[in-house]
Amino acid sequence: MIALLEAKELTKSFGGIRAAKGVTFQVCEGETIGIIGPNGAGKTTLFNLLTNEIKPDSGSVKLAGEYIDQLSIHERVKAGMARTYQVPRPFSEMSVRNNIRVSMMPDDLWKMIRHSGDMHAEQVIAESVGFHSSQLDHMPSELAMGDLRKLELARTLATNPKLLLLDEVFAGLTISEIDQISELLVRRKKSHATTYMIVSHDLKSLAPLVNRVIVIHQGEILTQGTFDEVVSDPQVQDAYLGAEVRR
Amino acid sequence: MSRSKFVNHKSILGWVVFVAVMLSLPLFVGTGVIRTFVFALYLAIFAVSWDVMSGRTGYISFGHPFLIGIGGYTSALLTYHLAWPLYFTIPIAVLMTMIGGTLFFFPALRIRGTYFALVTLAFMELMYGLVQVVAPELTGGTRGLSGLTAIVQGAIPNYYLALGVLLVLAISSWALVRTRIGYALSAIGLDEDVVRSCGLNVTKLKLFAFMLSAFAAGLGGAMYIHYLGSIAPRGLFDIGFLFQILVACLLGGAGTISGPIAGAFFLTFLLEWLRPYFPGPERFLIYGMIALLVYVTQPKGLHYLARSTFGRVVRITKPKEAT
Repeated sequence: MIALLEAKELTKSFGGIRAAKGVTFQVCEGETIGIIGPNGAGKTTLFNLLTNEIKPDSGSVKLAGEYIDQLSIHERVKAGMARTYQVPRPFSEMSVRNNIRVSMMPDDLWKMIRHSGDMHAEQVIAESVGFHSSQLDHMPSELAMGDLRKLELARTLATNPKLLLLDEVFAGLTISEIDQISELLVRRKKSHATTYMIVSHDLKSLAPLVNRVIVIHQGEILTQGTFDEVVSDPQVQDAYLGAEVRR
Repeated sequence: MSRSKFVNHKSILGWVVFVAVMLSLPLFVGTGVIRTFVFALYLAIFAVSWDVMSGRTGYISFGHPFLIGIGGYTSALLTYHLAWPLYFTIPIAVLMTMIGGTLFFFPALRIRGTYFALVTLAFMELMYGLVQVVAPELTGGTRGLSGLTAIVQGAIPNYYLALGVLLVLAISSWALVRTRIGYALSAIGLDEDVVRSCGLNVTKLKLFAFMLSAFAAGLGGAMYIHYLGSIAPRGLFDIGFLFQILVACLLGGAGTISGPIAGAFFLTFLLEWLRPYFPGPERFLIYGMIALLVYVTQPKGLHYLARSTFGRVVRITKPKEAT
């Protein structure tokens, strides 16, 4: 399989805290990777380093065989890498439709002026994540957590990503909402061959989705492997629970 | 009918009524009132031009008079010293202001919020100092220049001229923000980082908004000083002038087109009506209190206050529409 994403020796320190210490990994096309680790392990930092929201001190990132280190945040999105945020960040004073509209826009001033939004395409995206058409005019303040996560997802899908970085997509959701989103991810994977990296604390929901899990602990990759391999790894249990407890 | 279409029809109707009333106004009111209207119109032009940048993108500029001043001084100097014709100096003034507008843009690449406001305030104060010190024989120093060429003579022609400029600027920005670019600029005001994550070049969008703002400010500034016939640093690069623009926008409703216009009219006429009763500066106290009262009632300004009241009336009088 071809590597879609290659991160090499990504390193980042915040003052004395080393949030990423030489993180190296590959993600193949069509794979779904779970990123797990205790709180503060550096999972979100890893996403920020990949999207360039935080510039690494050293290391490099390749997307689809090309180095993207020189690309800014929006250029990486255009190159096919999109992300959701751990805490949903909708445009608070815009309806669901307009949130999606902003994300669907071409990055071209003239086209933005000349062509109005494709209302149909906006609706298709909204419905694909499970919004009812009557919700298109709702404001984010009227949405429950599950719908806010769907909106995050809809907005990233609108950029037509090859690689989706999902940060805590299941947090704060009911079981049926988790099922809905999982189903959506699987469907999208079938139709668009989308590759996922999913950060989640909810291991049970993650398990059926992932091909491989990367465990991060104190800014380093502790181990990686299939879900079962990883969760039965004593190192991982130590990282989560602390060595003392396990004994 | 969808919500957006509903608003659209209403706002087109609103514009038609506004234009009709404004066009026929000189038939009904005296020259004195018309002169007040001219000031209100120029304040509205400045407010609309401020709002294109600050009201949309959330980059609150405290240096708008800096832009207006560049426009004003450029045209004043060229007509006063070189006797160049106005149809030549005003476009140059606009161009110069747009170049000046890029100066706003550089701090905006790195800083936001209060810091951006302070840096732009520094621009204005810097200009105030420079105009008096650098080449005072050209700029007239502290006293400025007077006896500038007028574009048209008389209250009513000036009224129509200012009205024309305001309408062109307002209607074109109204049309522009209804395209997708308007959504993108508003999105920057809400969460700039997320706009980047949507794959849009925020830098390019901000530059566009700043240029647009500078264009309108430069045009307004140049025409304003030719209407006044004089230009002086304290009149232009003044915190009081700045606050009139800001209050007009915030009172009327920033991030809208009709808001800043309504705010500018409200403010100008409020101060004018208060003048006979409070000839001194105490009328600014009253205007401050009224502004505060509006904020407390509706922080988004008169525009939203009117819209929500209107919406409530419609809801009460009409049975609920099926969507």
